[in-house]
Amino acid sequence: MRGRRAAEHVTFSRPARPSYVLTLLKPWARPDAFQTVLEERSVRWYNACLRITRDADLAADAVQEALLKAWHRRGDFRGEAELSSWIHRIALNAAIDLTRRRKTRAEDDVDVDSLFAEPASAPEGEYTQQALGKDLEAAMQRLSTRERQTFLLKHIEGWRLDEIAESLQTSTNNVKSILFRAVRKLRVDLHVWRGES
Amino acid sequence: MISDDDLLLYYYRDGLDAAERARIGAALSEQPELAQRMQGLVARLDAAAAMPEVPVPEALQQRWQDALERAVVSKPVARPLRAGRQLNYGWLAAAAVTVVALIVFQVTTRPEPERTVENPPEAPADTGEASAYERGLKWHLASTEQQLAGLDSAKPEERARLIETIIAQNRIYALAAERAGEPQLARVLRAFAPVLEGLEHGDSSGSIAQLTFELRVMQGRLGAGTASTNTESTTL
Repeated sequence: MRGRRAAEHVTFSRPARPSYVLTLLKPWARPDAFQTVLEERSVRWYNACLRITRDADLAADAVQEALLKAWHRRGDFRGEAELSSWIHRIALNAAIDLTRRRKTRAEDDVDVDSLFAEPASAPEGEYTQQALGKDLEAAMQRLSTRERQTFLLKHIEGWRLDEIAESLQTSTNNVKSILFRAVRKLRVDLHVWRGES
Repeated sequence: MISDDDLLLYYYRDGLDAAERARIGAALSEQPELAQRMQGLVARLDAAAAMPEVPVPEALQQRWQDALERAVVSKPVARPLRAGRQLNYGWLAAAAVTVVALIVFQVTTRPEPERTVENPPEAPADTGEASAYERGLKWHLASTEQQLAGLDSAKPEERARLIETIIAQNRIYALAAERAGEPQLARVLRAFAPVLEGLEHGDSSGSIAQLTFELRVMQGRLGAGTASTNTESTTL
């Protein structure tokens, strides 16, 4: 993994291989392959980055950065995973990096409502459902950036603890602690379920 | 006593050594309430994490397209060659084609090789095929089916507890489905509630058969491969 993460930061000053040889050997290195995944998967990349950054501009930048980085590094991609998954991962790392760089900005001045669309109608008027839904939203908002990112990378993206540690530039044990703290906060904040084991 | 933290790591299949995994796995198979606790925890986290996908604004999609097109047409940075060492790309291309031809020849004449990969990178868990809540939902449906199958042999108090657990988890997944922008799925899950409540009051096995059928249909639609794996591993 370390090698993989490190490889993402390879500078682009190496001499490029002749493109015709590259495309002959690696069909995913063709522009149309990138165009296709961009059309098909950009919504997923964007939403994943949006969850990580909670900032539409940063998410958009992260996707663009990932796309360009992947294009320039296409020679390094061995095609063992899906091209879209590879870009997805680069985008998440870019989102984390961009968030880190903009850390000085206050975390709470984000329009969180834009991330959580209200249901079109409250089906069957279930008060409990609505209350729990609001609690869930509030619970995610109360997580710190690092807690939210750790939780999302683990629970949604399925990254390994050591991968998260590398991306967040911390230790695996620390990632575990952050994850447990995030989970505890989420559980405590779910008022409807408070009192359960 | 197994903590929720350890249960969570067990669910994630990460961060536990083999002995710990074996210990928790054994405990889960012996203690149905522990398995329910884990499932409840995961269901709550799935619901917390479920979010509807936001569409990408058209202008943004265009911006990415333009950026990619610019990158495609821009020439790579070429390193200046030293005098007297001009590379002949024609020869390079010919050499490359020869190498490719040799590789192709070797591969096609070799008897059905085992596919080996050097240092295969672990595919990202989210290959874009299923969100966490979808995976959790599959798992929930599969384990519910198993729990329903065991209802007849359960003692009355155990039966009531099992049904309550199923109802509670069902409610959470209905909410998760709604938050993920799938109101139809949410409605189907909610429709299970009265049937389950009927079971709590000693309804017939016909209801169980009906629910089991519905669950299988849903699993079929969702592609229940993941659920089966997870269910087996947690022996729910």
